Amino acid sequence: MEAFRQIGWLIHKDLALQFRTKDMLALIIVFSVLVVLIFCFAFGPIFPEQLEERGKLAASVLWGTFLFAGIIALNRSFDIERMNGALHGLRLTGVDASYLYLSKVVSIFLFLMLLEVVVTPITLQFLDVLTVLPVALQAQLPWLLLKLIGVIAIGTLGFCAVGVVVSGISTNTPGKESLLSVILLPLTFPVVMAGAKCTVSLLTTGGLGGNFWISVLVVYSLVFLASSYLLFEFVVEG
Amino acid sequence: MLLQASQITKRFGHRMVLNALDLSLQPGEVVTIFGPNGAGKTTLIQILSTLLKPTSGTLQIGGINALEEALRVRPSLGLIVHEPLAYLELSPYENLKLFGRLYGLNGLEQRIADLLDEVQLTPYAHEPVRIFSRGMIQRFMIAKALIHDPALLLFDEPFSGLDLAAKQLVLKRIDHERARGKGIILTTHNTELGYHVGSRFHFLLNGQIETVAEKEDIGLETLSREYEERLKG
Repeated sequence: MEAFRQIGWLIHKDLALQFRTKDMLALIIVFSVLVVLIFCFAFGPIFPEQLEERGKLAASVLWGTFLFAGIIALNRSFDIERMNGALHGLRLTGVDASYLYLSKVVSIFLFLMLLEVVVTPITLQFLDVLTVLPVALQAQLPWLLLKLIGVIAIGTLGFCAVGVVVSGISTNTPGKESLLSVILLPLTFPVVMAGAKCTVSLLTTGGLGGNFWISVLVVYSLVFLASSYLLFEFVVEG
Repeated sequence: MLLQASQITKRFGHRMVLNALDLSLQPGEVVTIFGPNGAGKTTLIQILSTLLKPTSGTLQIGGINALEEALRVRPSLGLIVHEPLAYLELSPYENLKLFGRLYGLNGLEQRIADLLDEVQLTPYAHEPVRIFSRGMIQRFMIAKALIHDPALLLFDEPFSGLDLAAKQLVLKRIDHERARGKGIILTTHNTELGYHVGSRFHFLLNGQIETVAEKEDIGLETLSREYEERLKG
């Protein structure tokens, strides 16, 4: 019980810090909407007629945006811990490193999900995806969007699972932003690939097109969550 | 014995920062370590607080191997260093509440109120720490270091950047904690203040520690003269 309480307080602290200044929230939402708009202007105003092509475009825009917004969120989140020795302050309380890891994963996950819930409808609307959906799919639109959010949530969890560890490693090194990107992008490639494949399938057929890509997404997220949970002590303690 | 450090050595690459250093501390004792900038004082405090691992040596805190079981000994440490070790966007109240909860303290609200009152930050309890002056941040750091009533206090240059009132607050608090049987290790280059609060004195020069004397065996003038001579030479 004490473990859950400690994780809860750490999550509360992370979210309070993220929403206290709102600069991070504003930065990341403006950045994401700008990326979506750039793609819209580049590919529009007349988008591909075929639903599958339009679905592929939407999936690329969504996952590309989430990936780069996620890197910004990770950087910012660990900057807060590094500045003024706050992480050392936490370590001195004797709190388990794995609790720090889980709290960071949950708080960044919640933060990114908030962003994704805002950006996903904007992207689908601007790329005019919803209007070309078959009538059968349009009738199930809320259910389709729910499934899409589910896929995005699993992908975001996998991204956070890896990202928190890599941010923890890179935060005390010179050139941490570039190091984070260089290590993180290859590691999260399976998440982005599987997430994008599932998204295309959902937007074109309403289903996941078999179990393969969703399995990749789930297994990757769980494996990295478990292994990073065990490894994080070495990241924090050195 | 509250703390026993034996043969602590720390290297950063080829640079030897601490060389086979021995140090001990009894409850109710204040050990003052004098040293110039770059002598390794901060590195020593980081190692004693278990935040930094030494290259070699052993460290026992409260009879526990602190290098093997850092998580067990950390809640018995109170640390004041150059950084606040806290979140400047949060208020003193929010910071103390967070850290107090993580330490698993009971009666936290009263403890926070008492500490903020003592460091004269009650009127600013709900203001973000980032707007504080250096002296106010230092006073907040004292409250944070004491929130869990630790048995061992480690102070790295606690008087730097403080005005007279804040210095007196630190001195008073050190005396108070010593009287309660707490052990304190303090690093400073201010011989006058270090002598005032200390009960045993060491010099840390070029990574090596030298025991100078117990307080009853040396006066301030002699200590200051010896320190200056050692710095020159």
